[in-house]
Amino acid sequence: MSVLDRKLRRELLGSVGMILAITSIMAIGIAAYVALNSAYRNLTIAQRHYYNECRMADFTLELKKVPVADLEALKEIPGVVEIRPRISFAATVDIERTVEPLNGLVLSLPNERRHTINDILLKRGGYFSDRRDNEVIVNDAFARRHGLHPGMYIHLLLNNQRQELYIVGTAISSEFCYLLGPGTMVPDPKRFGVFYLKQTFAEEIFDFRGAANQVVGVLSPDVRAKPQEVIRRAETLLDSYGVFNSYPLRDQASHRFIDNEIQGLRAFGVINPTIFLVVASLVLNVLMTRLAEQQRVVVGTLKALGYNNWQIFLHFLKFGLCIGAIGGTIGSGLGYWISTGMTSLYLLFYQFPNLVSGIYPDVIAEAVLISLCCGILGSFNGARVVMRLEPAEAMRAKPPAQGGAIILERLRWFWSRLSFGWRMTLRNIFRNRLRTGAGIFAAAMGACVAVDALMLAEAIVHMVDFQFELVQRSDIDLVLKDDRGFDTLNELRQLPGVDYAEPMFDVACTMVNGPYSRKSGITGLIEHPRLTRPRNKEGEPLRIPASGLMMSSKLAELLHVTAGDTLTIIPTKGLRHPFQVRITSISDSYLGLVAYAEIGYLSGLVGEEFAMNGAQLAVRHEPEVREALYRELKQMPTLQAVTARADTIYNVRETLVKNQRVFIYLLVGFAGVIFFGTVLNSSLISLAERQREVATLRVLGYNEWQIGGLFARESLLTNLVGTLAGLPLGYGLNVAVTAAYDTEMFRIPLVNPTGVCVAVVIVGTLFGVAAHLVVQRSIFTMDWLEALKTKE
Amino acid sequence: MAHPTSAEHSSRPTLLRLAEIGKTYHMGEVDVRVLKHVNLDIYEGEILAILGPSGSGKSTMLNLIGGMDRASEGTLWYRERDMTRFSTGELTRYRRETIGFVFQFYNLVPTLTARENVLVSTEISRNPLDVDDVLGMVGLTDRMDHFPSQMSGGEQQRVAIARALAKNPELMLCDEPTGALDFETGKKVLRLLVEVREKLNKTVLIITHNAAIAEVADRVVRLRSGEIVEVHENTHPKAPEEIIW
Repeated sequence: MSVLDRKLRRELLGSVGMILAITSIMAIGIAAYVALNSAYRNLTIAQRHYYNECRMADFTLELKKVPVADLEALKEIPGVVEIRPRISFAATVDIERTVEPLNGLVLSLPNERRHTINDILLKRGGYFSDRRDNEVIVNDAFARRHGLHPGMYIHLLLNNQRQELYIVGTAISSEFCYLLGPGTMVPDPKRFGVFYLKQTFAEEIFDFRGAANQVVGVLSPDVRAKPQEVIRRAETLLDSYGVFNSYPLRDQASHRFIDNEIQGLRAFGVINPTIFLVVASLVLNVLMTRLAEQQRVVVGTLKALGYNNWQIFLHFLKFGLCIGAIGGTIGSGLGYWISTGMTSLYLLFYQFPNLVSGIYPDVIAEAVLISLCCGILGSFNGARVVMRLEPAEAMRAKPPAQGGAIILERLRWFWSRLSFGWRMTLRNIFRNRLRTGAGIFAAAMGACVAVDALMLAEAIVHMVDFQFELVQRSDIDLVLKDDRGFDTLNELRQLPGVDYAEPMFDVACTMVNGPYSRKSGITGLIEHPRLTRPRNKEGEPLRIPASGLMMSSKLAELLHVTAGDTLTIIPTKGLRHPFQVRITSISDSYLGLVAYAEIGYLSGLVGEEFAMNGAQLAVRHEPEVREALYRELKQMPTLQAVTARADTIYNVRETLVKNQRVFIYLLVGFAGVIFFGTVLNSSLISLAERQREVATLRVLGYNEWQIGGLFARESLLTNLVGTLAGLPLGYGLNVAVTAAYDTEMFRIPLVNPTGVCVAVVIVGTLFGVAAHLVVQRSIFTMDWLEALKTKE
Repeated sequence: MAHPTSAEHSSRPTLLRLAEIGKTYHMGEVDVRVLKHVNLDIYEGEILAILGPSGSGKSTMLNLIGGMDRASEGTLWYRERDMTRFSTGELTRYRRETIGFVFQFYNLVPTLTARENVLVSTEISRNPLDVDDVLGMVGLTDRMDHFPSQMSGGEQQRVAIARALAKNPELMLCDEPTGALDFETGKKVLRLLVEVREKLNKTVLIITHNAAIAEVADRVVRLRSGEIVEVHENTHPKAPEEIIW
């Protein structure tokens, strides 16, 4: 090791506090880069493998019923490579040990094993055998939650009949990577499962011989990116069979959730590291500029000894490189650790056969390269300053710093009222422009990250509260198999423990406004519903209009309509006569696309007097009453799905909210490192520069706390100004993030930022104070008598 | 003004020649002329003292001779080469290979030990002396692993001399080498510089405001207000032990 390198090593070790402050900010930036990019890779690789293994469909068509023979025509559409007709039905599941009724989706699979579209991956047991018809393959997560395994029997209510099915295997499939049951936003494999039946058995049970109600297909690579035309032609072709839904892969529910996450990782993988790395470079720049000043004479001496500019430049650059290398190494390790945590968290939500946390050498190499570049960038200015110093000039003491009046001094009235301490503080803040600027910028970035993170946290809580406490207020939701009359409501009201019941009528339809159209549904409710209460943005409940439609803002936005406009509705089931409806009001909703109408009015539109195909119940909470109710519900053949909402909400809160919190608190912690690191760094630099001033003040009789107070004012004031400046930036970032998550599936609301801003100012100040305490300790331990002797 | 070349020294080869050297600093709106029409020859193997009060231009002259600064006027010859035409790189090479600096405040790198401070200069020189020998010569063999903060002023200055010497330069430039030292320690440092000339035949240039110190030199150049006012030849230079200040 050369002597200069030894010097470098000792100087690095000698200013461990400052170096630590910078490397920790840099390490976090790098950790964010490695974590988010590795998690991105983990997910995309796992997704690609999974889709390949299962031959994930490029499009799906849902119909009422179509003869398989008539689907041959689909294969003629250019771009369609292969199709698979299948039978798909909702079912309720009856597991003896479980009191509540559970929901399931039944799908048909070829009797014999072949690598079909939307194939399954067997986890336990095997594929169907010839031994019995009633064989079933159960979704592996559901099976595990209920202790089901091959060789056991399970009971499903299929087409009004209770069927006993023999489990031959458990499996997963890429189309249910994010397995969502009805009415929720978080997978809950305890309450929702997928059940695969033999094709022939499904045909028999559902009375679908030679017919199907769903088509999944694979497209050729050239049309895969633009599948709309193929789907449109397929719809036209099958129009007479009642296509009530069709979607390409990118609109497939599971795929969209994963894709959202992947896109999010990609975006955050750029935004977050950039913020931290820019701050780290800036803070390093402040340190290096100070170091260059401090080492003027050393630089002069080295030049006098014959070191050339390049050698000196490189020597100073190495400071930054070392910090970059340390930050890069720690950050990469930390990043891998975080990505492993994220990946294991993903396994709570997504079912992947092989989602593993990988180490990606290129990501690590990029990360280290980025951190080295930041190190170079941060030390470049300092190195340039020393390189430019003429040796003779370097040997001379630096001319005294500018001592002129600062701009505030012109405000005589204000200035004359300030104490000596405040004048000193303000002069230092205004004279050290680079340092003050860097401090303000860093604090602003810290505040920006923290505001965004905390607003997101609050938004998710608000979203869950709004959706599951204010809008949907029932205890149990029921979906009926067919349209029923008023009698059914009376029947439901007689069930044990039911305090109150409201009917619902869902009409699947296509909504058309000129060139804009959407496949969606209208939910019919009574005029003054108690169990579904649509609300406006302010959270005030809205009345269901006696005629016309109430529509959620997102749906209205997609259709380019607003209250007062008229819309064409084409029901996808039944008579399918188009009709015109006026939009009377706009509601707010964070989940899905919803439209409401008065149930009698809606029934009339589809040609019925009163129809319902769902109900919401308010029930008593005593366990024994619940049990009795569940027993009854399990016996009801008319039920398609039963959702106990308390469980849903609990599940959402447990998984989504809790896990989001981990991320969000991590981000706030990261922001704290910025506050802490920046204040620590600039205060320590300031202290090192002003040792003589401190010593002089000690001689004059100031104690350690009074002197500390002068430094604290400076750093905390800068920190506060930065934090305040960062609040609107954080709000802006949150606007961007919520806009990015404004999808048809869900929206993240933009919450009132006041509380968050107050919290961030407090957090920023607390971290600043914590950093100052370290500085205060240095003031206590400083040998001021020695400082007094030191030659300037 | 008398030309400094004298009969006795003209037998020695000239190492450096300053011809009509001037230096002006631009300080904001005012120009400060710190050296004017300086003519001087520096001969190989001599001890030359440049004597003058503060502000007389001593340090500026040292900086020009040491290749740390450029003259505003005149020509500076190093042997046959015109230094005023040196590029930055050539100046660096000149400092590296020709000059050994000794500063008033030692200018040691605080984070390096005595030995490492000497290594700083040997690592970049082409023909360095053995570091341990040099440290032995300045009497610091026992203290070579100490940091500057653990040494007395005299010891630090000896490290600085060792650092300058170890490069095996032709010219030792000493800027107030005893300025920060007490009387006894200062004399020891002077003794060392005299030995450097005697044993290693180096040219030693000492800048000082202390007339007593100049008594050890072969020649004394007096500067005042940027001009040479006298070049005095010491026919009998004193031994450092004999001088008093």
